[in-house]
Amino acid sequence: MTRRLKAAGQALALACVAGLLALLVWSVVHRQHAPGVGAMAPAFTLRRLEGPGKVSLASYRGKPVVLNFWASWCEPCKSEAAVLERDWTTYRGRGVVFLGVDYHDLGSDARRFVNAHALTFPMLEDGSGSVTGRYGISQVPETYVLNRQGRVVAHLRGPITDPGFAGQFQSAIAKAAA
Amino acid sequence: MLRLAAVAAAALVFAAPAAACAHPRTSLRYLQGQVMCPTCHTTLEMSDAPAAQRIKAFIAKRIAACWTTERIESALVANYGQGILAAPSHKGFDLLAWWLPIVGVLAGALVLAFGVWRWSRRKGPEEPDEPDHPAGSGLDEETERRLDDLLARFD
Repeated sequence: MTRRLKAAGQALALACVAGLLALLVWSVVHRQHAPGVGAMAPAFTLRRLEGPGKVSLASYRGKPVVLNFWASWCEPCKSEAAVLERDWTTYRGRGVVFLGVDYHDLGSDARRFVNAHALTFPMLEDGSGSVTGRYGISQVPETYVLNRQGRVVAHLRGPITDPGFAGQFQSAIAKAAA
Repeated sequence: MLRLAAVAAAALVFAAPAAACAHPRTSLRYLQGQVMCPTCHTTLEMSDAPAAQRIKAFIAKRIAACWTTERIESALVANYGQGILAAPSHKGFDLLAWWLPIVGVLAGALVLAFGVWRWSRRKGPEEPDEPDHPAGSGLDEETERRLDDLLARFD
């Protein structure tokens, strides 16, 4: 009886250790990384920030997409907003889509930001940060440029107004639209 | 006289929202311990990040507007998802987070109690100086039987 109990206890302890190990492996395997250049951009469907309905990234397949992650509490996003709006008006005629993804933000604050900066390209909300996490966003603003097939052409970690990024951003759009 | 009337009018204006609350007002301090900062993954009370400051301002405004704790938390969950709350909810799968530690502690206590019981049984009552019979050699039955068999060969 006691031997059987001892064996059961050992089996239980082993099962616990195996469970913890499996959990560790799962978390390592599922750790979210930013998709690299050439990789498919993670698919998503998000609510519109203004107005009803949802938007899915897949619906823009066949068009180059500029995916900008921002938040109303982010200081560099303010200076970047005007440049993004200017580029949007420049490139929209060439079929380039601009999408803004507001993350970890209050909807009311985000809408105020959009109005204050007179942004007209579609804005989506990712309050929980689930989509943002799949893109490996660690700080805002960050911008992805995707080609017509939905593959990453460029990932700019910082405002596109940064001197180092301005040229890179334009050439990435040109490459994505080619 | 005119000044007194103005002060009384101002007091009425500012006191009105407080008086309008039909329930005890929740506190910013309490909610700061219940709500997470989404960018730094600590509670609001431990964070000064811009995102946390925005949420603190949001909560302060809703408290001033007599919102209850539950209503403020639901508004935040609707905006940020369940992860904005420091503690999991008391329903569905989240219940596991509340019950598992209790089950774990109970299981640990049971194992401990069983171990103590075994240990006390093994130790048993104090052995008499001279045993009544030579049994109690400390060997188990199987070993004793094998020993008897071996000894029988020399008989």
